Amino acid sequence: MLVLGVESTAHSFGVSVVSDSPPYILSDSRRVYTPREGGILPREVAAFFSRVAGEVVREALESAGVRIGDVDAIAVALGPGMGPQLRVGATVARALASYYSKPLVPVNHAVAHVEIARFLTGLRDPIVLYVAGGNTAVVSYSEGRYRVFGETLDMPLGNLLDTFAREVGIAPPYVVGGMHAVDRCAEGGDFIEGLPYIVKGQDSSFSGLLTAALRMVRSGVRLADVCYTLREIAYSSVVEVLERGLAHTGRREVLLTGGVAASKILNDKIEAMARVHGAVYKPIPARYAGDNGVMIAVTGMAAYKWGYTIEVSRAFIRQRWRIDQVDVPWYYEFP
Amino acid sequence: MSSLKDMLGWVRGLEPVKRGAESEIRLGFFMGIPAIFKLRVPKPYMHPRLADILISQRTRKEAKVIAYALKHGIPAPRLLAVLPSIGLIVMEYVQGVTLKDYAYRDPRGALLYSRIAGSILGRLHEVGVAHGDPTTSNYIVSSDGGLKLIDYGLSDFTEDVEDKAVDVHLYRRAVESTHASIAAGMFEAFLEGYKGVLGGEALKVIERAEEIRLRGRYVEERRRSVWRALG
Repeated sequence: MLVLGVESTAHSFGVSVVSDSPPYILSDSRRVYTPREGGILPREVAAFFSRVAGEVVREALESAGVRIGDVDAIAVALGPGMGPQLRVGATVARALASYYSKPLVPVNHAVAHVEIARFLTGLRDPIVLYVAGGNTAVVSYSEGRYRVFGETLDMPLGNLLDTFAREVGIAPPYVVGGMHAVDRCAEGGDFIEGLPYIVKGQDSSFSGLLTAALRMVRSGVRLADVCYTLREIAYSSVVEVLERGLAHTGRREVLLTGGVAASKILNDKIEAMARVHGAVYKPIPARYAGDNGVMIAVTGMAAYKWGYTIEVSRAFIRQRWRIDQVDVPWYYEFP
Repeated sequence: MSSLKDMLGWVRGLEPVKRGAESEIRLGFFMGIPAIFKLRVPKPYMHPRLADILISQRTRKEAKVIAYALKHGIPAPRLLAVLPSIGLIVMEYVQGVTLKDYAYRDPRGALLYSRIAGSILGRLHEVGVAHGDPTTSNYIVSSDGGLKLIDYGLSDFTEDVEDKAVDVHLYRRAVESTHASIAAGMFEAFLEGYKGVLGGEALKVIERAEEIRLRGRYVEERRRSVWRALG
């Protein structure tokens, strides 16, 4: 069975073809929008997606060595994400499904981040830290769905790093050679006191940290030290929430997924935390940390095998589609 | 400094009874009194300075909440010593059984204690503190027949209805998951005790606790929904 997946929730337009037999991932094509200045403007990204969509679909099919006729189903991330970008992916997927009479499979982007991590590591029943530009949450499966154990009360971790970098003038570009601007800036920095560390019960909060860090930079504190401390506090607090989730749920496996999962330092911290608790941690390859079409295709394959499809006329985008609104009946049969 | 180090070494030599995510609990004597030694341990994944700062802050905070609760007549363990710099709190050892174990032995008596548990939490909320983990494992039926609420490690000063509702929800979840056959009665008695203290104020909290339950998070409840777009 072959499934083609379409991802377009944020800054990456990705298309992939996967098979249910080895080597599973047949292709993985993507284009990432990088702003010249400032942050991401949804309409500009959507316009960029519209320009590249056709060639990315063609490239994904050609490098997989299949024709659209061979594909059994089209999977698409209908949310959560930014409206204008989601509409491009949804339009492309609906058109393919409708024109070629293929079943259309709705996929939740957050569920897909977790599923690709389970798929790549083989860890079957983990507690998961999902950190990205748009999301920060600790989730684990319980009674049919991924449940949110803890999350950010205000801004996501990726957003914190991006906004800080932009405000102090070290980005864009936000990521160069797989390294975030804040990581680069933190080199040679040292821990300084005075920035707030906020974990309330099982939730973290970053807006106070951002404000305090910016104030420090403006008052003349060495930028490298602020970068270092900001990162140290932000990463430590999400790992602590993850640790509480691990203790609370009694899980034995730990996963990290989402764009920020590419960070070596965050990986090291989680590994150290897991070791103390005798839990298994396996990192995912950096390539699959960020948004991609493979995760949508892999999750779409599982959903399709359980009979999940959606009428083209009803395949609306869902910007605020929460991970705990999605049934995951394939959990124990996957990967 | 060296005396603090000696103290730390001596505490580490005591008999450990529990290892949590936050701290190690040991049993011993403090000036001849049976005592619990709660020692916060540094997180290996944090910068040592950050770990130290958090240990000291949290130790201070927990001791402050306990002292504040005691001052308001809430039955918390009495404090014997607090050493924030090494993350140590020494408290009286409350002899007795947890309400959780007690309920297995004497379900009828557990209803009465559940009512008292509700009034204790009500009093804590009345003076502006959320406990953070008020399960039946943290209520101790002491050998003299009294009931005490222990472990203020996740407690906070708050007037937020949501924080208080989470407390009520946690108690409900605890009785439902460990005392299924008498859960309904226990929770009802708990609410009676809670309302007995807070009166009309209690209703807002109980209503919110019900909302939390309906969000469907029986195992992993959380505070607020934030799906944010990239920004």
